Amino acid sequence: MTFSERMLKIDRRIIFLVIGLCTLLPLLYPVGLPIKISSEVRGVYDHIESLPEQSVFLLSIDFDPASKPELYPQAIALLRHAFRKNLRVITMTLWVSGTGMADQIVTQVAKEMGKEYGTDYAFLGWSPGGQAVIINMGQDLYSAFPSDYGGRPTKELPVLNGVRNLKDVGYMVDLGAGKPGVEEWYVFGKDKYKFELGGGCTGVMAPGLYPLLRSGQINGLIGGLRGAAEYESLIDQKGQAVAGMDAQSATHIAIIVLVIICNVFYLSLRRAARAQGQAG
Amino acid sequence: MDATIFGAWVATGLTLLIFSFLYKDNPLFKLAEHLYVGVSIGYTIVKTYDTVLVHLVVKPIVEQGEISLLIPVGIGMLMLTRYVPKAAWMSRYAFAFIVGMGAGLAIPRTISSFILKQVEDTIRPLLSLVGSDGVTFSMNLLNPASNLNAIIILLGVSSVLFYFFFSIEHTGVGKVVARTGILFLMISFGAAFGYTVMARMSLLIGRLTDLIEYSDASYGRPTIWLLMGIVGALFLLSRKGQEHPPDSH
Repeated sequence: MTFSERMLKIDRRIIFLVIGLCTLLPLLYPVGLPIKISSEVRGVYDHIESLPEQSVFLLSIDFDPASKPELYPQAIALLRHAFRKNLRVITMTLWVSGTGMADQIVTQVAKEMGKEYGTDYAFLGWSPGGQAVIINMGQDLYSAFPSDYGGRPTKELPVLNGVRNLKDVGYMVDLGAGKPGVEEWYVFGKDKYKFELGGGCTGVMAPGLYPLLRSGQINGLIGGLRGAAEYESLIDQKGQAVAGMDAQSATHIAIIVLVIICNVFYLSLRRAARAQGQAG
Repeated sequence: MDATIFGAWVATGLTLLIFSFLYKDNPLFKLAEHLYVGVSIGYTIVKTYDTVLVHLVVKPIVEQGEISLLIPVGIGMLMLTRYVPKAAWMSRYAFAFIVGMGAGLAIPRTISSFILKQVEDTIRPLLSLVGSDGVTFSMNLLNPASNLNAIIILLGVSSVLFYFFFSIEHTGVGKVVARTGILFLMISFGAAFGYTVMARMSLLIGRLTDLIEYSDASYGRPTIWLLMGIVGALFLLSRKGQEHPPDSH
């Protein structure tokens, strides 16, 4: 067996180990590589910056713990920014499996920023129906969510004063890890009820949402952990996402090197086989 | 024991049990996998029961007298007739309602959002008219709205659509166009794969970040103790497997 053949049949656990080390070492010993802000992430940031105080900001936390590493830092950064701008923050989820986590995120950031429940922010919880909930909210928010997560009647929450439906929302950002997610909020929400919409999503979903961004159907997009790191840099509160960027870059380099090495071995094997065939 | 510390031990243990699959498939991984599925389903059932049945159905009907809610409840109950073979036909009314309503809601909105809006965005002016300067052509590749990008997108969409047009043979000029379509598809798949790799690595970073945090003495170093325990268990399982190889029949 030649060296190339041996390398192409290498135990995959060695590759797992290499990737594991490339992730672990930068997390233990961070280098602090620079983070360049993309226009799509800046789109969301700039829009929130442009909102006057006490504008209504709706954040739909449409993910569950399976997507937490990518979308949790996005949610934290967005909430910090909205609270810092003194916006009226309304949060909700269309994912039943993410309800407890969404409540924990909102409560944690609100406590950190000294905000009061009911006056500065509210968590409406989960309502069944996915896209039907969005349509319902477009007609009457109180019909979609008669009570909040804690069972308090939503009509009695001061933070919702003057808000009847989605048309009264100043800006809405959906952090989605699938369906229902950003696309549903556009199709059944923005396209029908005409409010400004931004999106945040997992890395896997980002390429599929770029067409919506280019056509102006959404005004910004935060894609994966990278997007979260950019947002953390923009609000100048570096957290989990920025800390993970060195590891992300290191693993990407490792994967690129592995792809190149595999191709070199594959081509050398093919050339050897061809030479053998000609000799035979 | 403090709930946070208990949570750290549980999270660390389950993460390491799942990671043990990277070594090889084993009963510890299966335990964590089944726990994950069970807990997710259990959580969903409880939340659905509390939110839907208690807060959106029973309370409004009993406490506020919203009798009209009995109509959707009745339609929903028809679904359950699937379990009674003689009455199963009744479930078709419920399905017909759901399919009809779903299609009615989705079709016009999807056509408007994904077909008309995207076609409108694809067919952009290839040249721009700017005030007194007349016609201009912007070459900036980094600007999504530039004229050069408008041409690239038009070429990409047309060639990919032609590649999936099977009524004529892809020969001559057609072959060149179809090949161009493949090229655009490959670039698109590459971008999607790149993002997928990034997403998967982000998940790994998330778990490793937690493992590093939980290796702290304030949590009782669950990462270190549980890692040693799981490595030991895997070693014992491996030894047991060698002593009693699985039946080859």
